[in-house]
Amino acid sequence: MISVYYFGAISLVLIGLYAVLVKKNVLKILIGLSIMESGVNLLLVSVGYIAGRSAPILSEGVGPNNAVDPIPQALVLTAIVIGVATTALALSAAIILYEKYGTLNIEEIRRLRG
Amino acid sequence: MNGQYASLLIALPLISAFFVPLIKGAGEKAVKGYLVLITTLQTAVAAWVFQTVYTTGKPIIVMAGAWKPPVGIDLYLGHFAALFVLIVAAVSFMTAVFSYVADIKPPADKYVMLSLLLMLGATGMIATGDIFNLFVFMEITSITAYALTAYNKTGEAAEASLKYMILGGIGSSFFLIGLTLIYGSLGTLNMAQIAQLAGSMNPTVAQVGLSLIIFGLAVEAELFPLNAWAPDAYQAAPYAVAVMFSAFVVKAGLYAMVRLLYLMQTVKSWHSVLSLLIAMAVLTVVVAEFAALRQRDVKRMIAYSSISQVGLIAFALALGTRAGVDAGVFHMINHAIVKALLFLGVGYVGVKLGGTSIEDFRGLGRRMPLTAFTLTIGSLAAVGIPLFNIFWSKIRILVAGIEAGYTWGVALILGASVVEAVYYIRFIHAMWFTGEGERIGEGISMSLILLFLAALVIVIGVYPQYAWSLAQKAGNDIFNVGQYIKNVPLMPLTGVGA
Repeated sequence: MISVYYFGAISLVLIGLYAVLVKKNVLKILIGLSIMESGVNLLLVSVGYIAGRSAPILSEGVGPNNAVDPIPQALVLTAIVIGVATTALALSAAIILYEKYGTLNIEEIRRLRG
Repeated sequence: MNGQYASLLIALPLISAFFVPLIKGAGEKAVKGYLVLITTLQTAVAAWVFQTVYTTGKPIIVMAGAWKPPVGIDLYLGHFAALFVLIVAAVSFMTAVFSYVADIKPPADKYVMLSLLLMLGATGMIATGDIFNLFVFMEITSITAYALTAYNKTGEAAEASLKYMILGGIGSSFFLIGLTLIYGSLGTLNMAQIAQLAGSMNPTVAQVGLSLIIFGLAVEAELFPLNAWAPDAYQAAPYAVAVMFSAFVVKAGLYAMVRLLYLMQTVKSWHSVLSLLIAMAVLTVVVAEFAALRQRDVKRMIAYSSISQVGLIAFALALGTRAGVDAGVFHMINHAIVKALLFLGVGYVGVKLGGTSIEDFRGLGRRMPLTAFTLTIGSLAAVGIPLFNIFWSKIRILVAGIEAGYTWGVALILGASVVEAVYYIRFIHAMWFTGEGERIGEGISMSLILLFLAALVIVIGVYPQYAWSLAQKAGNDIFNVGQYIKNVPLMPLTGVGA
């Protein structure tokens, strides 16, 4: 059976993609990107989820046989950090854009034309 | 010397980037000199790796922390990686010299740090043997590339950079979903093990996963329809950055794409993924050539030309035959040389004359004869005239395409090449036969670099055998997956959860 988590994660990705493709405001597009990233991260975590097991942190009563797959969790931590860096950089580019163009509407930001 | 020293390829630029703030106090020139120094060292290490791999014929496998794969992450420096790591380092060295001589707007320390990290990211993408590690290096490359695109801090630069970030963000999410699908079905992230197990994957899942990965990497590899950012980024970024983008960032993306594609060739739905990539590649060539034709800005024109050449490489690599892969790798080498030459030359003119529109190039033959001469050689080579290097790889790609039964693709590419000849000849005409002007002094180090690259173009054009044998070995490294699996010392999986 396909887990319900997959549907949740993929719908988050699609919502994010919709925002990126349809919205006109740069900030909304960046929010869309973040939503997409969260969806992907959730998907990654849910791939490693095994029902009824606990977080893969070595503590009393938690051994290799009753923890979920730790690798996706390590991957997601990395992916979250990368996502933060990208978002910060994108927002600083948006600040420069607003200073130079006076708008955040992508239809008005079109100085580069071949 | 122990092969594990090859990890310096990753360690050296990373640690050097952290030392940049300490050197900042010594002034702009010192920081730029530091970049030249580090890239020289990197080139030396890369040359050593190249020498070792090509004389012993065996890949160097670096195991992080001495953990055997698949538990540890390994770096796989085979024939392909050794060659391209050397190209990355050498091109970085040339751009470092260029940015030392020509103006990079202050603060140079930020530029130096970012270009070291860009070199690191591309090197890592080419060298890594672990698919998630590949993702991390890809993100290092793309985040530094976003920042370098915006480096000039003008509105245009921010606009180009933001476009790049949005497409890159979508691309990296797609890549990660594809990676999740592969990890979910095979339970491993090591590339050799993925290749071993790929045959057991559900064909539909493999098809979706692989296509998502290709779409994700197509942003870095500048394939249609995800290359809308590229011309803007080339136009708005500093000249030195455009050189790096065209010469190795694209190559790293293409390599990662092709490596993963061929690793999974035992998947049953493999050929449908190949046809997807072929369609993307042919569209890239055609769209980019026609866009290049109507450009007034030479930098942007060469950017489009670069994109179309990348489409040609992707076409060759997606044929799925040994001949195609070899020809594609050969074209990658030639393209790196020619585009480094063209972008460096155009950048040098841009710095000296203050602009790169076609009007600035009128009379360049009289004003900067040496630069104009090397640019002419680069342009003739890019068109694919015999006795220049690109001719050999282009003809091999076309022959491989016909052999593989893609006559329609070859016909479209040939048609697009005619367009390419038109705009390059227009460019040469503008340089030599129009305009007047006073002679402008050309710096010795830039002249040497441009002449060196132009000489490479002609030497490979007249004696293609040596470069072709390198390309065949590198192509075999990609194509012969069985050998790749054998080369990686996989830990035998026994016991719990195996």
